[in-house]
Amino acid sequence: MTPYLFLLLVKAALYTVAISAAAIVIGVSLGLGVAAARASPNPLLNWPARAYVSFFRGVPLLVQLLLIYNLLPVVGLNVPSVVAAVAGLALCTSAYQAENLRGGFASVPKGLLESADMLGLTPWQQLTRIRAPIAFRLTLPAVVNEAILILKASSLVSVVGVVELTRMAQDLDTSLFKPIQLYSAAGLLYFLINRGVAGFGRFAEQRLAWGAR
Amino acid sequence: MTSAISVKHLSKSFGSTEVLHKIDLEIPEGAATCVIGPSGSGKSTFLRCLAFLEEADSGVIEVNGDSLGFTEDASGRRKRVPAAQIRKVRAAIGMVFQQFNLWPHMTALGNVSEALKLVRRLPRAEAEDRAMAQLQRIGLAAFAGRYPSQLSGGQQQRVAIARALALEPKIMLFDEATASLDPELTGEVLGVMRGLAEDGMTMVIVTHEIGFAATIGRQVVFLDHGRVLMSGGPQEVFGKPRHPRIEQFLDTYLDRGAAMLM
Amino acid sequence: MRFDYTLILSRAPDILAALGVTVYVWLVSLAGAAALGFAVALGRRYGPRWLNGLLVAYVELFRGTPFLVQLFLLYFGGPYVGLSLDAEPAGVLALSVYGGAYFSEVFRLGFEAVPRGHIEAAQCAGFSRTQIVRRILVPEMAVLTLPAAINLAVSLLKDTAVLSVVTVPELTLTVSTIGTEFYAFVEALFLLALGYWGLVEIAAALGRFAEGRLARFRFA
Repeated sequence: MTPYLFLLLVKAALYTVAISAAAIVIGVSLGLGVAAARASPNPLLNWPARAYVSFFRGVPLLVQLLLIYNLLPVVGLNVPSVVAAVAGLALCTSAYQAENLRGGFASVPKGLLESADMLGLTPWQQLTRIRAPIAFRLTLPAVVNEAILILKASSLVSVVGVVELTRMAQDLDTSLFKPIQLYSAAGLLYFLINRGVAGFGRFAEQRLAWGAR
Repeated sequence: MTSAISVKHLSKSFGSTEVLHKIDLEIPEGAATCVIGPSGSGKSTFLRCLAFLEEADSGVIEVNGDSLGFTEDASGRRKRVPAAQIRKVRAAIGMVFQQFNLWPHMTALGNVSEALKLVRRLPRAEAEDRAMAQLQRIGLAAFAGRYPSQLSGGQQQRVAIARALALEPKIMLFDEATASLDPELTGEVLGVMRGLAEDGMTMVIVTHEIGFAATIGRQVVFLDHGRVLMSGGPQEVFGKPRHPRIEQFLDTYLDRGAAMLM
Repeated sequence: MRFDYTLILSRAPDILAALGVTVYVWLVSLAGAAALGFAVALGRRYGPRWLNGLLVAYVELFRGTPFLVQLFLLYFGGPYVGLSLDAEPAGVLALSVYGGAYFSEVFRLGFEAVPRGHIEAAQCAGFSRTQIVRRILVPEMAVLTLPAAINLAVSLLKDTAVLSVVTVPELTLTVSTIGTEFYAFVEALFLLALGYWGLVEIAAALGRFAEGRLARFRFA
């Protein structure tokens, strides 16, 4: 494992992080929308949302990626493979995030909203000033968890031709025939990135602890 | 003695269980009314109806002359009043909960000033000044920057009282305000409540603290199974209880070594 | 969609065979992962200290890296250290080791969730360590961890799709190959997705049934 090889892998790892970050941001935003629809009493919003969550959690990510990658050109969207990859990852995670967010919002103690009611806060004010910040804090561990899962799941986009960390290791292996070194190094890089994200998650939790230890 | 709150034929059921049964009650202005009774008597539900956190199934509540939630015409049909009216009536009422319900992501000062900023639309500086003044009144000015998780139960409840008082309500409702507190901490909260009563605030206090109810209440209301068994001055209710259930209740209370009344 | 679904019927036997492979691989890996995870959880709880470090390393590494990389390491790297496996056995082994790390965490937390008081009561009654583990700890842990274990089992089912990358003839590989043959790749993928969706829902329903049957043992 020469330093040069390792650097190639590190570069690819950065690409992995970028792809994952994009997928997470889009996924959380989508998830918010789906969670809102899911929470709505209107069946026209509720049922499609439930089907959405059930589908994207019930189908293997690999199949979802293959489907999106091959479907987009058919409907006329000729996008680079990385865009299809990020879209696939984002859609998949949005279903999980929607459930996390739903749980978070439901866990906001009712009393906090009743006192807001008594003090005269409007429903919108309650949503933005009380429910959202508290739900966010409650959901944070799950969101960080999901981020780590995305980072690992991003290895599957290698199958649709995106040259991220796993694909880079594969490509190098086909010419160098050093699978153990390459895949171990790739694994190590994934591991370190995940540790970093977990550490950042703990840091964020501390900052949002509002005085509690 | 004018009535701050006028309750007529208030009834409420949860499913098939009737929790409040045709309650008629006048809450006098400028004085403390204590609502006592055994667990499950409907005390909290009654108070929450006064706050419109629960909607009664029938009957009317009038707060300072305005109908709260529903009006009833001569034939007994109910009509819901517009949301703006509900908010207007609610603006005159402040409530303190058993679970404090301070918002955990804001400091004590933040909690007290939030409604001033959002509802009264005061500029930040003025809202915080007024909030500080309230905190000073209850002796917690030094804790303004602390988060609820950094305060004791008694301190949190006092901040909750300050938060409600900041909006200058005419009526304060207390729903078992000391029930969640360790015994050593109830004193500081009861002290604040006593101060308010002495200043002439109209208060409706649901409580288990019988000794407190005896000395602070101008009117004591005994509720049992959703009915008002007796209402009157403390000497009457505690000294000459006219109902066997009340005697039974007081006996259990005295048996447990509580302070002598009157 | 110009896909002629009757064409599918002509390949039904292949698809059924592939379904069989998927289910077989899933169940065998599930058994392996559960057994491995159980052993690791017990080892971490009752084993010597030097073992603990090794086991923690195993769990952290296999939960902290992608399954695909682990699979490649085993399938492509294995022969270099004398471990030359065919695609299917390699897939099952990799999935078992991967799943084992997750199961070990589920079981470990399950062990910790068994109320101390129950164990202490047994100790006071004179149960031996083995008896406590066999008669109290493990049964209670099983009831507590059932929902999480079922969730894990369902995710393992989905992970079998990854084995298609190393040419294990399971559903994903077979159906996409058929799709390419009939020039109807996207339609085939849709059917594949629906197929998995159905499988997962069935597995989840079975899981809920099992939870219901064990509900009478719940105490929390």
